[in-house]
Amino acid sequence: MILQKDIFSRASDLEKRGRTAEALDVLRDGLRCGRLDAEGIDRAGRMARRMILDGTTAAPPLRVLILGQCTTSWLVNAVTAVAWGRGVPAMVSEGGYDNILQDLDILSPGEGRPDIVALLPWSARLLAGGQPAEERIGVELAFWQQAWEAIRGRLGSRILQIGYDWVVPGAAGHSLAGRRDGEVGLVREMNAALREHLPAGGYFLDLEQASGMVGRASFYDMRRDYWTKQPFSEAGVCTLAEHLWAGVRALTSGPKKVLVLDLDNTLWGGVVGEVGPLGIAVGEGADGEAFRGFQRHVKNLADRGVVLAVASKNNPEDAREPFGANPDMVLKLDDFGAFEASWEPKGVTIARIAESLNLGLDSFVFFDDNPAEREQVRRALPEVEVPEVPEDPAEFARVLQAGLWFEATDLTREDRERAGQYAVERERREARQSYGTLDDYLRSLGMKADVRPVDDADLPRVVQLLSKTNQFNLTTRRHTRENLLGLIGRDRSIPLTFRMADRFGDYGLVGVVIGVPLADDPDRVVIDTWLMSCRVIGRTFERFMFGEFLGRCRELGYRGIIGEYTPTRKNGLVADLYERLGFGRLAPSGGDEMVRHALEVEGSARPETFVESMESARATP
Amino acid sequence: MNDQLLPRLNAVFHDVFDDADMTITRDTTAQDVEAWDSLMHVTLLLNVEKAFQVKFSSSEISRLGRVGDLIDLIQARVSRN
Repeated sequence: MILQKDIFSRASDLEKRGRTAEALDVLRDGLRCGRLDAEGIDRAGRMARRMILDGTTAAPPLRVLILGQCTTSWLVNAVTAVAWGRGVPAMVSEGGYDNILQDLDILSPGEGRPDIVALLPWSARLLAGGQPAEERIGVELAFWQQAWEAIRGRLGSRILQIGYDWVVPGAAGHSLAGRRDGEVGLVREMNAALREHLPAGGYFLDLEQASGMVGRASFYDMRRDYWTKQPFSEAGVCTLAEHLWAGVRALTSGPKKVLVLDLDNTLWGGVVGEVGPLGIAVGEGADGEAFRGFQRHVKNLADRGVVLAVASKNNPEDAREPFGANPDMVLKLDDFGAFEASWEPKGVTIARIAESLNLGLDSFVFFDDNPAEREQVRRALPEVEVPEVPEDPAEFARVLQAGLWFEATDLTREDRERAGQYAVERERREARQSYGTLDDYLRSLGMKADVRPVDDADLPRVVQLLSKTNQFNLTTRRHTRENLLGLIGRDRSIPLTFRMADRFGDYGLVGVVIGVPLADDPDRVVIDTWLMSCRVIGRTFERFMFGEFLGRCRELGYRGIIGEYTPTRKNGLVADLYERLGFGRLAPSGGDEMVRHALEVEGSARPETFVESMESARATP
Repeated sequence: MNDQLLPRLNAVFHDVFDDADMTITRDTTAQDVEAWDSLMHVTLLLNVEKAFQVKFSSSEISRLGRVGDLIDLIQARVSRN
């Protein structure tokens, strides 16, 4: 886990040495992965702004001008940071304190005009009292209409109008504040008037809703209002910046179009390949309810026009089965515009989804519970948005919505404009340096494995793995504890367990190989059992396992290895594993389905792998 | 005790002003640091609040002239907690 401190010391160092493009990349990585707190976002915004203003970024920056009835300086930093975290170099500027019409007056259309002007009211004047409510609303509305006319009519820029908000309900008290003559009621009526009169093509940011989601007690810090005429807390500034940026995106490239979802532990609990379509958690129990609730949220998104897609590491049949077979599923197969279940890296499958939908990857959001998959997609496809996902499925819907990916205006002429924006994005993409290969990614995981002979402490876990592993399981022999003890106890047997950890965490015991001497040829060892947890598929871990096994065979003086594969409905993934490892296929013998393979120990090398052994933990079998 | 706070406070200044070479003393004031304007003053105080797990009141903020005043204030807060 990269710490905030390291991000800034690296970025600062690079900036000082004039390597500003790299410094910006470091900041962007920190911002994208949600690694910065509110102070960090402010600081990142200040640094990024400095470098963007210096002309470091190749793409023409988008110009956003913020004009407020309160101080907006921190908002400028935070919006710059949020935009840059999304890969957009924005040139964010501000006007003077409560100087909106004057500032607009001195701007001229054409070159250098802002693309978007964000207007931030502050409720002090509205709530000041004096005149009756309707009059005050009329005065405020007339003020904003004048600003809108200058922005749209004279400058030809777009309007992002922020609404009014209240901090405390006021003298009328909680119960009566919402009435027409109460402060909350007044704010709401004012907001309704803004919404109604805002020219078509503008974006209305509902501040009352944004602050309410966070909670006003933490959104506002009234000390800052008195110190510097700016009422938002640091967290409030960040939230407002995110909403403001969502509005900018809605006005420029439009909302995201595609939501790509993982299946196991994202749309349902458990691994369908292991527990079957009726064994997954999607209705019964607290976690099942939570997954079902998330499916309902996703379904609603689909109903309002978001294209859904699946990118899952699963056998295609397993992945599809619950949609038809499990009656608790809210989502059905025909809710998805694309469905990719395979064992390929998700960067590859998502790129294929984009091709099949004929939509740019920059309109994609990818939601997956597995941090390693998220990291792989972030590296392979930098234009795809990959939000962090909390562990608890009960939080999924809230977190996905908090990303504000699908915010939209009711713009009708958007197609033409969107096409232009896509072109800009594409150029940006092409200008960007080539992204990392899969090998770079696997190397970066820092995978380490611990290999041990099966011991008493491991036995229960090994028996459990034997009984439930279906996909990466060459022979699917469900040995009992007694059977297993018999195999292990044989002279010159090779019973190994494998544990793995990478920089995202410890996966525990994820693999078992059991080799026993062949009864009629003691120079040869047969692999009775070889299984691996699906959590580490696609990591070259099987190659590591085999390398270790090969080493043991050599130590024990075996000359040959026999590998058996028994096809089942679930284990197609490993049908050609032995051939990929250099084994020769033997002629079928007997009437069974088993396929046998042979390899000579002499002259066989350890396969290349990105997994390293923890030598210290190695014991002699 | 106050002398122990100074290096920690100096680290906050490094972060806020993006300047790892900056050295502050009890006598440093806003006049001595180019980027230390009234807005950065608030940013600085918010960072100090976070770093030392304290919270300042509005009246305290307005009385801060020198770094020494800030250290005394942190000291008073920390020992009260």
